Amino acid sequence: MDEAQLIKGIQQGDRKSFQILVETYQRMVVNTCLGIVHNKADAEDLAQDVFLEIFRTAENFRGDSKISTWLYRIATNRSLNFVRNNKRKRFFQSIEDTFTGGRNRNSEISENRGDQPDRNITDQQRSDLLHRAIDRLPEKQRAAFTLNKYEELSYQQIAEIMEISLASVESLIHRAKKNLQEQLLDCYKKKCV
Amino acid sequence: MVSYIKSNKMKTKCIHKDLIFYLDNELSFDKRTAVEKHLEECADCRSFLAFLQEGMQIIEKEKNTEISPFFYTRLSARLNENPEHQAQSQWARLSQPAFFLLLLFIGIYSGLKLGRNASTTKENNQATSVQMLNDFAAEPIESFLLDEL
Repeated sequence: MDEAQLIKGIQQGDRKSFQILVETYQRMVVNTCLGIVHNKADAEDLAQDVFLEIFRTAENFRGDSKISTWLYRIATNRSLNFVRNNKRKRFFQSIEDTFTGGRNRNSEISENRGDQPDRNITDQQRSDLLHRAIDRLPEKQRAAFTLNKYEELSYQQIAEIMEISLASVESLIHRAKKNLQEQLLDCYKKKCV
Repeated sequence: MVSYIKSNKMKTKCIHKDLIFYLDNELSFDKRTAVEKHLEECADCRSFLAFLQEGMQIIEKEKNTEISPFFYTRLSARLNENPEHQAQSQWARLSQPAFFLLLLFIGIYSGLKLGRNASTTKENNQATSVQMLNDFAAEPIESFLLDEL
């Protein structure tokens, strides 16, 4: 079944076509979300939201671009929104912590660590360090870097997804790498891992 | 070892800023050769390169994350959710801020109303005090004290 038939099927509400679409692209969508949110459970929830949006708005798809471009675009936007909302929640949480003595936050952190008991501390620290460095990147740099690194997309594909010029993508990824390198160098000098 | 690093730093300037691009094979041939030559001599840059490599390997590991086998089952269940229920939950989500907004307006309105009443009472009090002053004018203090005697 080619892309056009798949989309036509989904537009008509055909569940079989939708299942084929999900099974073909689920790894790609989850990976994209994971690159931005850094949590498997959140990434899978976001990926489900992406597919639900696809199913409910399929009639709006004009077929100008590939399905993958459409999916990447929705996945990136939803993940960035999720991170933005989380930051806002964390801000209010920090205010709450000042009154409750930070009990809630500490329990949340220990729950997250409990997800991966078999990973050693250094691996976890290294992973946290990289995630923190990626999180500090400006949104556009983060999106471009994630699509390039996690999905190994070409600059041309990223330009289509983000609807910007090729030169802008080159500049965004260059700056993202420079920023990451600066943050990692800072940590290397302070010996945080 | 430390003295080796120090002496190296004196001889050559560290090229930390190029290493992430070296890792991604994004340097020109000349620059890449220069970086490789520098790495042979500089232990600090070699160490930072290893640190960067380890960091980037995290991405490679994350790329191969297994997806839950129940992904489509869960998605299908969410798809089957009653649209009426979704509309209701959306309505509930909207009604809460609307209720608080209404409460806020009522609060502001009643505050203004109370404030206006309070100012009217104040004006009345002033009028009373003026009357009292006028009483003094009608009965001078001297005659009041003489009456006491």
